[in-house]
Amino acid sequence: MKASMTLETNRKVPFWKVFIDNVIHLPWTWRITIAYLTFMLLMPITALFLKASTLPTAEFWEIATSPLALATYNVTFITAILAALLNGVFGTLIAWVLVRYDFPLKKIFDATVDLPFALPTAVAGLTLATVYSENGWIGSFLAPLGIKLSFTRAGVWVAMIFISLPFVIRTVEPVLQEMEHDVEEAAWSLGASQWETFWKVILPPLFPTILTGVALGFSRAVGEYGSIVIISSNTPFQDLIAPVLIFQRLEQYDYAGATVIGVVLLLISLVLLLGINFLQAWSRRYDNR
Amino acid sequence: MTTDNKLKKNHPQKANWVPGVLIAIAVSYLALVQYIPAINVFFQAFRKGIIPFFANLSTPQFLHAAWLTLLLAAITLPINTVFGLCAAWAITRHKFPGRAIVISIIDLPFSISPVVAGLMLVLVYGKRGWFGGFLEATDLQIIFGFPGMLLATSFVSMPFVAREVIPVLEEFGKDQEEAARTLGANEWQIFWRVTLPSVRWGLLYGLILTNARTMGEFGAISVVSGNIIGKTQTLPLFVEDAYKQYETEAAFSAAVLLALLAVVTLVLKEILERKTHIQDVE
Amino acid sequence: MSLWQRSLQQLQLILRLNSLRNFVSLFLVGMFLSVAVAACSGGNQTLENGKPKNVEFTLVSFIVTRDAYKAIIPKFIEKWQQEHNQNVTISQSYGASGSQTRAVIDGLPADVVHLALGLDTERIEKAGLIKPGWQREFPNNGIVSQSVAALVTRAGNPKNINTWADLQKDGIRMVTADPKTSGVARWNFVALWNSAMINNQDEGEATEFVRKIYKNVPALTKDAREATDAFLKQGQGDALINYENEIILAQQKGLKVNYTIPDVNISIDNPIAIVDQNVDKHRNREVVAGFVQYLFSSEAQVEFAKVGFRPVNKEVYQTQEFIKKYPQVKTLAKIQDLGGWDVVQKKFFADGGIFDQIQSRNR
Repeated sequence: MKASMTLETNRKVPFWKVFIDNVIHLPWTWRITIAYLTFMLLMPITALFLKASTLPTAEFWEIATSPLALATYNVTFITAILAALLNGVFGTLIAWVLVRYDFPLKKIFDATVDLPFALPTAVAGLTLATVYSENGWIGSFLAPLGIKLSFTRAGVWVAMIFISLPFVIRTVEPVLQEMEHDVEEAAWSLGASQWETFWKVILPPLFPTILTGVALGFSRAVGEYGSIVIISSNTPFQDLIAPVLIFQRLEQYDYAGATVIGVVLLLISLVLLLGINFLQAWSRRYDNR
Repeated sequence: MTTDNKLKKNHPQKANWVPGVLIAIAVSYLALVQYIPAINVFFQAFRKGIIPFFANLSTPQFLHAAWLTLLLAAITLPINTVFGLCAAWAITRHKFPGRAIVISIIDLPFSISPVVAGLMLVLVYGKRGWFGGFLEATDLQIIFGFPGMLLATSFVSMPFVAREVIPVLEEFGKDQEEAARTLGANEWQIFWRVTLPSVRWGLLYGLILTNARTMGEFGAISVVSGNIIGKTQTLPLFVEDAYKQYETEAAFSAAVLLALLAVVTLVLKEILERKTHIQDVE
Repeated sequence: MSLWQRSLQQLQLILRLNSLRNFVSLFLVGMFLSVAVAACSGGNQTLENGKPKNVEFTLVSFIVTRDAYKAIIPKFIEKWQQEHNQNVTISQSYGASGSQTRAVIDGLPADVVHLALGLDTERIEKAGLIKPGWQREFPNNGIVSQSVAALVTRAGNPKNINTWADLQKDGIRMVTADPKTSGVARWNFVALWNSAMINNQDEGEATEFVRKIYKNVPALTKDAREATDAFLKQGQGDALINYENEIILAQQKGLKVNYTIPDVNISIDNPIAIVDQNVDKHRNREVVAGFVQYLFSSEAQVEFAKVGFRPVNKEVYQTQEFIKKYPQVKTLAKIQDLGGWDVVQKKFFADGGIFDQIQSRNR
């Protein structure tokens, strides 16, 4: 287990040899991780990139940056970020309530958090579109207020919230469970208010975890297709999401064009995920006293 | 970051109303976002009563779809658990530059749209894909057969265990592992006796999420399965099939069954809680 | 030289490192293999004439045909058993026409394809799986089921929508599937375009006609079924365009729909074809051809007609039941009148085609 992951380039020994040496002496956990990732993730992604690269650069660029495509990236990513942030707040609160307080039916509530998650996405889309439509259970209360959800961009947002909420709750819960009460109690006994205790004692160590949940929820919302396509009106420049564009390309048998949009989505997601994960790593360093 | 306007800052004493308010907010948010839509599914399924519900769930087509879904989950779960634990261990127990990059890569399968995930598999194993000629020659059916579906489900549910265990591992257990090591325990013993118990909650949630995602997966599966009734049709595909045929009740009945996975979650959690309770007493 | 020796040594080193890892990897390999083996098993007996006792083939079709096949397939199996003494097993797959087409091209082992539009069948032909000339192999150019476009309105028709032209009016909201994602939704668009053409408009006027209609669309759904749902369940719009067979099926399943069949219409033709490459590989041409032949018989056409398709068989069409159910359309155009699917696809639905143009002008 003493293998260091740092690759020192030594002048006498060629770089690749060091690399291979490092690979050979990797702990087996790393080997399994790398092998699995290569087979399951990197190989298909490489296939995607290669297919996209069969197009001439100009055409690639034209497909990737057409006004319609840009509008769909906007809808997909901005809405996903908004949904993930809102869930970051409420998901943390729900996790907190489920872990720290006792109330009737709590077990049921806790168990049913993932209930929507197990629904096939198309069913999720159907039920959301029905419930939030103008004559639906929730939509009929909103309609007099002039709020329309189904078949609008707000509906896309609702679907994304629905899809990504369990992630935040389920990521924060285990960490809260392991957190000791003593710190809080110490803070209380020193006269801090509950609010101060939460803000100064509980939140800082929890923050990276919340970010993890937000990152997961965000990426899940970006990847969601089945439910959104039903609740959105699929009107270009309003609430058409990027995956639908991919689908349209496939319907025209334009595999290469479909992969172009896929590659762009993948790269944007990767950059955003990197941002969130670096922020997470940084906030962790910050509280490592 | 997370401010809650309903909470007033100046409240020096232990306020007793805080839990109540927080519970109310949590429950109403859950209700609005998740429960009411979910209840609607149940409502649709039982609209014509309980007998049609069971009639819908006894057709051979449905039973095969359910069996296939369970089989996929049963194989995907262990594979992704092993991977997830390995990845989490590797990432948290070795300091190396670029950790965030590796974690982001593990996150990727979520953000890849299922349509694209299916397309990628087709590009690799399809008739005109990388291994198309080889598979054609050896008469192996990967895409539009069980292996392809396994690949798709494993792909979409890959990150869960790793992602759930990483934060817990980062938070706890390192000192205990060190202690065990100085006492002369080997890596395996440390893993089984120290690490695993300390990450049990994260692991459990990871398993639950993996299972739910595996069973509910539709997009990627629909691209690579071919949806052959009685052969490669899973429950979510069955739901779509029934729905498109205007058999709304049958569709929603199957969806309800999938949603009831949450009950499995409940049982698992109970078992785990009892077990840990006994251990704590000892 | 020494390089590969060294790599061999290293390989041994890896193998010795940890037996558990080997166990895990072997286990995985074993599992994959066992699945693969299980996938290709099954004994085969033969009859006296040297033909196999059990034959099987795979039917790939678009979604709304499922109910018809539910009735047709058992009848065919019985008939074949009596005439040829063979047990037939038919695997079926139903889905959106475009997705099914892609699946067959990517390796779904279909022996026979029944798709929603000729465009899709032609694509499988272009991929080399179906031999050219498939249209001449069977009666009626291979068209085994037909339908027309229907105009669905709210109960009592409050907005007074009776013809395609009424859909242009301001304040009317119309729901339809997206021609870009739904293969069959293209029929709707073509029906509208064709009605403008029949009214002696030139292409510019016809473009304006469809533009005005699509400006009134609040939601373009992914497919026909979702369009029905958006209209009926979520209360979107005043009118819905869908295929007659879809509407009749919805009625049979208990939904309340009132609709008219406009007099100027397009004949929605769903062709069937044998996938030659797969049939040659599976050596089951005899039974597949027998099955397709059977689909054109009165017995099978009655079943298609029962679930909403217009019978292609004259005898069946003349029966009392169906004459009433499927009123004759006065001016019925064929896709060939517009130049065939290849032309139509390029002109209307490809990137930058007429549909894209009207959509960007409606922004």
